[in-house]
Amino acid sequence: MRIAPYFAYARKCFLGRSAYRFDHLMSILSTCMQFFIFWGIYRALYGANSEIDGITFSMVTTNFILSMGLGAVFCPDDYFLPNKIWDGSIATELLRPISFKGRMIAENLGNAAFDLLFRFLPVLVIALLTVGVSAPASPVMLLLFLFSAFLGYGVLWTISFAVQMTSFWLINIWSLLTIKNVFVNVLSGSMIPLWFMPEWMNGILNFTPFSSIYFTPVQIYLGQLSYGEIAFKCGVQVLWIAGIYLIGNFLWKKGQQKLVVQGG
Amino acid sequence: MSDVFKLMGVYAKTTAKSWFQYRVDAVLKSLAVFLREATGIIVIWFTLLKFDQLNGWDIYEMLFLFSLLFLTYGIMIIFFTGLRDFGRTVRDGSFDRFLLRPRGLLFQIIFVNSDWFAAIGHGGLGITLFLISAGKVGIQWNLAHAVYYLFAVAGGVLIQGAVFLVLAALNIYLLETNSLKELLYWNMRKFAGYPISIFHKAIQFIMIYVMPFAFVNYFPAQYLLRKSDMAQYPEIFLYLTPAVGIGMYLLAYLFWRFSIRYYKSSGN
Amino acid sequence: MSLIEVKDISKTFKVSKRRGGVPGMLANLFVPKFERKEAVKNISLSIEKGEMVGFIGPNGAGKSTTIKMLSGILYPDSGEIIVDGFIPYKQRKNYVGRIGVVFGQKSQLQWDLPVIDSFELLKAIYRVPDAVYQKNLSRFTEMLDMGSFIRQPVRQLSLGQRMRADIVAALIHSPEIVFFDEPTIGIDVVGKETIRSFIRELNEQDKVTMLFTTHDMQDIEKTCKRLVIIDGGTKVYDGTLGGIREQYGTSRQLDVEFAGRAEIAPIDKVEMETIDENKKRFIFENRDIQINELMNQILSRYQVRDINISEPDIESIIRKIYNREVDGI
Repeated sequence: MRIAPYFAYARKCFLGRSAYRFDHLMSILSTCMQFFIFWGIYRALYGANSEIDGITFSMVTTNFILSMGLGAVFCPDDYFLPNKIWDGSIATELLRPISFKGRMIAENLGNAAFDLLFRFLPVLVIALLTVGVSAPASPVMLLLFLFSAFLGYGVLWTISFAVQMTSFWLINIWSLLTIKNVFVNVLSGSMIPLWFMPEWMNGILNFTPFSSIYFTPVQIYLGQLSYGEIAFKCGVQVLWIAGIYLIGNFLWKKGQQKLVVQGG
Repeated sequence: MSDVFKLMGVYAKTTAKSWFQYRVDAVLKSLAVFLREATGIIVIWFTLLKFDQLNGWDIYEMLFLFSLLFLTYGIMIIFFTGLRDFGRTVRDGSFDRFLLRPRGLLFQIIFVNSDWFAAIGHGGLGITLFLISAGKVGIQWNLAHAVYYLFAVAGGVLIQGAVFLVLAALNIYLLETNSLKELLYWNMRKFAGYPISIFHKAIQFIMIYVMPFAFVNYFPAQYLLRKSDMAQYPEIFLYLTPAVGIGMYLLAYLFWRFSIRYYKSSGN
Repeated sequence: MSLIEVKDISKTFKVSKRRGGVPGMLANLFVPKFERKEAVKNISLSIEKGEMVGFIGPNGAGKSTTIKMLSGILYPDSGEIIVDGFIPYKQRKNYVGRIGVVFGQKSQLQWDLPVIDSFELLKAIYRVPDAVYQKNLSRFTEMLDMGSFIRQPVRQLSLGQRMRADIVAALIHSPEIVFFDEPTIGIDVVGKETIRSFIRELNEQDKVTMLFTTHDMQDIEKTCKRLVIIDGGTKVYDGTLGGIREQYGTSRQLDVEFAGRAEIAPIDKVEMETIDENKKRFIFENRDIQINELMNQILSRYQVRDINISEPDIESIIRKIYNREVDGI
């Protein structure tokens, strides 16, 4: 497989983003506001307490800034396939001599790279200057955090990938994608730190992929996990990626057959 | 007058017919809007399972606070969908068509199209939250309170309607106002579900004097609930919602009229 | 007084100048810069009841601006317009019920619904009495042959069908005056012919006054007796279709095929173009040289195989007017 054309797609997306400066400024602002809302809520909830259940307020702040910051980067284009099915261009797209899925990954990574530099970092800097963020537990943990965050992106990407595949049958999947995002937002820990979820809820969450997206990397960053636990949790991330991808890929093959049979 | 109602009926029939072309999608859409908007509530529910109260507000009081926000938006969007989408109307030339019809402009914009999915999603959520919370927050539901509540909802609808009207009028001067709307309305609205007393003074100032969401839900809820954090605000704020609504709407309407005159003298 | 009376109207637009880059964008937001563009300059026009007037001009000539002022969407900066006793831009609500406007580029039909639903809605908007509505609907449906698709959703119609439905939508309230803005754009020959004959019939039978913009000269030749040409915001011609030939179409062309390779000496006041190796075209004005004199000159000096005289067609005259190649403007 030649990598050059995929790199070109990623580059195109990266550069293309710089055209919408005002919108981009808005999205940074939006992430910051989201952060300050939850920061404000938890400051009020903590009141005079320095820690609750062994979790300090600084850890909560760090959880929010990391998961919301990563959330700003983890935005795979949910409409990549649905839009192409809606307007019928999927038929010609599939004739191109490159992998459609490869191109999907490449474009999403191009966007993610842009957001990492121009959304995550500015938001992080703003948070550092205003409310402060905990330093990583150690340099090694920082590296492991980055590795696990990358796997977290993989989990989120495969979820989006699998849901998008349903558009072969449903065509308009705005509602389905919106509902998917509700699940991701509520259950991934980006709006409520999973430490504070009720026990029974965490029991359920262990059987879902959502906590693998942001919460595992955040725990590593804060030094809450031993090396053994890190290995286990990263293994869980890989399993989720593989499992969901297989489902998505099955739908992808079925969907293409349907496309061939019905001629779009 | 009966002629106006007849036309409203025909508009509603037309909208409903378009709607029934995509039944399944419509049901799912309302559900999706409902769930998307409920995100913040599910989060606060989980949070208060752990912490019991937020600055003195328990879960039912929080739900009551949220309910006003969604209920007013749900009612507002029935009437103001046309203003929400006004930018597109101007850009694609549909606005010229409105000018060519022997009817009031605002009347046409309001009744030509209503986003029932948003209305059902938001309004349904507002009603659900109200039903869950209204009996559990210690409000004596007598006639005076019910009348106050109705006025407060009407005021909240007018405040948000005024904001949409001003933003719509701005479309006549600026080509693209979505980012501005995002900044002024949607981003500020994210704060509005919570007691504003927990936020930084600057944000409180904006919520009271600039984009007065505080009058949509916080102060009306305070009138009925009387939580202790009200002490830091003047008592009079509890009664101002209808006045703020009417005042803002009148100003917005004057600006709208002025903008329409400008449109006819400048084209677009 | 004529039905439509336009006196000396002008319209200048401010066009914002956009600057690039982030500082430029902020500057645009707070201190916009404008250029002035004169879209319409001192146009006067009067149209009698029942007239059908073709209104043409190159893109950006001011046609749409003029139509928008006539229909009350825009104010003129100066001058005045009186249509049927109304000032369109001041008495909008009372006035617009008397006119119909068809924009070829922009449908007013409900996209998801059958055609008939749009008509029902317009009936309510324009307060059309039941009897008038039924009469108009059945008559127009028959004239435009719409029976087969009137119950189909608009999104399923062909462009030609949609345009026919749009024309009926603009006429359902029996307007006395109709403005057509490019009603035949993008439509095939048969579809165009249906629309033209419908417009002609409506004008003849109901004495509906019409103003008609188009880029297709065939539309004008087959429907209108009177032609108004505007260019650069000013009126450059106003008269009959035949008149334009008399006024501007005085040149003739003579195509000559010579027996061999033609080396022709220049002839005074005659323009000469080479068509191919032994074919030449001579273009001249009747007032400068008589046709028989020119032919004599050529025939006496050269071996000629074939000869052909022609008048320029209306389209090429108009092209010349747009390009300022004719005198007297």
